Amino acid sequence: MSGGDLNPAAVPLPVEDRQGDGRWMSQHTRFVQECKDGEPEVLFVGDSMVQLMEQYEIWKEMFSPLHALNFGLAGDTTCNVLWRLQNGELENIRPKVVVLWVGTNNHDHTAEQVAGGIVAIAQLLTNRLPKAKIVVLGLLPRGEQPNPLREKNATVNRLLRSWLPRLGQALFLDVSNEFLHSDGSISSQDMFDYLHLTPTGYNTLAKPLSDLLLQILEETPEERRASLV
Amino acid sequence: MSAEASNPAATPTPCEDSQGDGRWMSQHVRFVSECKEREPDVVFVGDSLVQLMHQFGIWRQLFSPLHCLNFGIGGDATQHVLWRLSNGELDNISPKVVVLWVGTNNHGHTAEQIASGIMEIVQLIHNKLPNAHTLVLGVLPRGRMPNPLRQRNAEVNKLVQDALSSLSHASFFNVDPGFVLSDGSISHQDMYDYLHLTAHGYQAVCEPLHAQIKSLLDKPKLSL
Repeated sequence: MSGGDLNPAAVPLPVEDRQGDGRWMSQHTRFVQECKDGEPEVLFVGDSMVQLMEQYEIWKEMFSPLHALNFGLAGDTTCNVLWRLQNGELENIRPKVVVLWVGTNNHDHTAEQVAGGIVAIAQLLTNRLPKAKIVVLGLLPRGEQPNPLREKNATVNRLLRSWLPRLGQALFLDVSNEFLHSDGSISSQDMFDYLHLTPTGYNTLAKPLSDLLLQILEETPEERRASLV
Repeated sequence: MSAEASNPAATPTPCEDSQGDGRWMSQHVRFVSECKEREPDVVFVGDSLVQLMHQFGIWRQLFSPLHCLNFGIGGDATQHVLWRLSNGELDNISPKVVVLWVGTNNHGHTAEQIASGIMEIVQLIHNKLPNAHTLVLGVLPRGRMPNPLRQRNAEVNKLVQDALSSLSHASFFNVDPGFVLSDGSISHQDMYDYLHLTAHGYQAVCEPLHAQIKSLLDKPKLSL
């Protein structure tokens, strides 16, 4: 397993404001504020795959009722998520479950580095929230036809499957196979741009995820509010 | 008006596959196929603001009944849309209206260059579809608080609105219902990342847009 500062995918990094409207920092600041205002039982954190979920009906139907917060930020790599979690996005909250979905944007890193980055985030979450379960979602295949990024994401998933069990609180959920047709293609009905999910695509993911979250929430005993200092 | 060669925003340019999964080209090819299979009355073309519109209930509610096609691609700037429309996405169809919404992703270009790029697209559409009316949507403000991109986008809108005023085959339509509040902020209830619209944001944009498109479709005679 890659060590912290040897693995570039496990180095916390904020996103530079290249475009000029400071949107990344505005979103991070809002999430930090939401930590002060909210008492989520479930925290979703990651990239656009997480962020977009909140825009569709499925969020209101399946995840809002679980008292979920969504800290997805489009374009984020493992480095960016790590930075956000270390800079306020875990303050004052005690979720019972954290859903982590990130890695598909780590274009400068190898599959091993990406998996190491994801494990580093899971480790951080477990250190900060020792009683929380961490649900790591597998990276979905991308691109209309087989291509190198599919292989890379599949390798990340394979590594996660073998590395995550070492962290007692982490679970791995991978629905990749649901999106691959027999000819290896991905349909635009599931991913409108062969990366981002349509509402139909999210429905495929939401059912097993929601079932898993309900199971975890039912198993977790109610934490006494007095323990929140 | 800048010559094509010296304005990158007005030079048809495909998107490079820098990530390795060919998604941009896959989407373009799919759109070209749709032109062969369908007979749309309205074609929407542009960037992610167009593309995401298709994912919300509002599309099925307001635009599907009008026989619309959606050729939005996330990240596209004017030069990418210019390339796509020059390479098949206007072939084999005869829509009455083309809705064009692009310009916010032209990073590094001046407002003048972006406006010229938009006008280049308007001219191309007119050349390929002489009977269609092009509705050019204003580029929305972005960022949580005032910033240079808001100024740039406002300047683009002003230049485009002026350039379109003398044309009969195209017109400018402002779809900003007032996203910028009195304190200069944009709410995440309207734009969840201060750029892309929420369902609520799309509602505010699409209702007037739908009315405008309907009135263009209902016109008995279209401009030649």
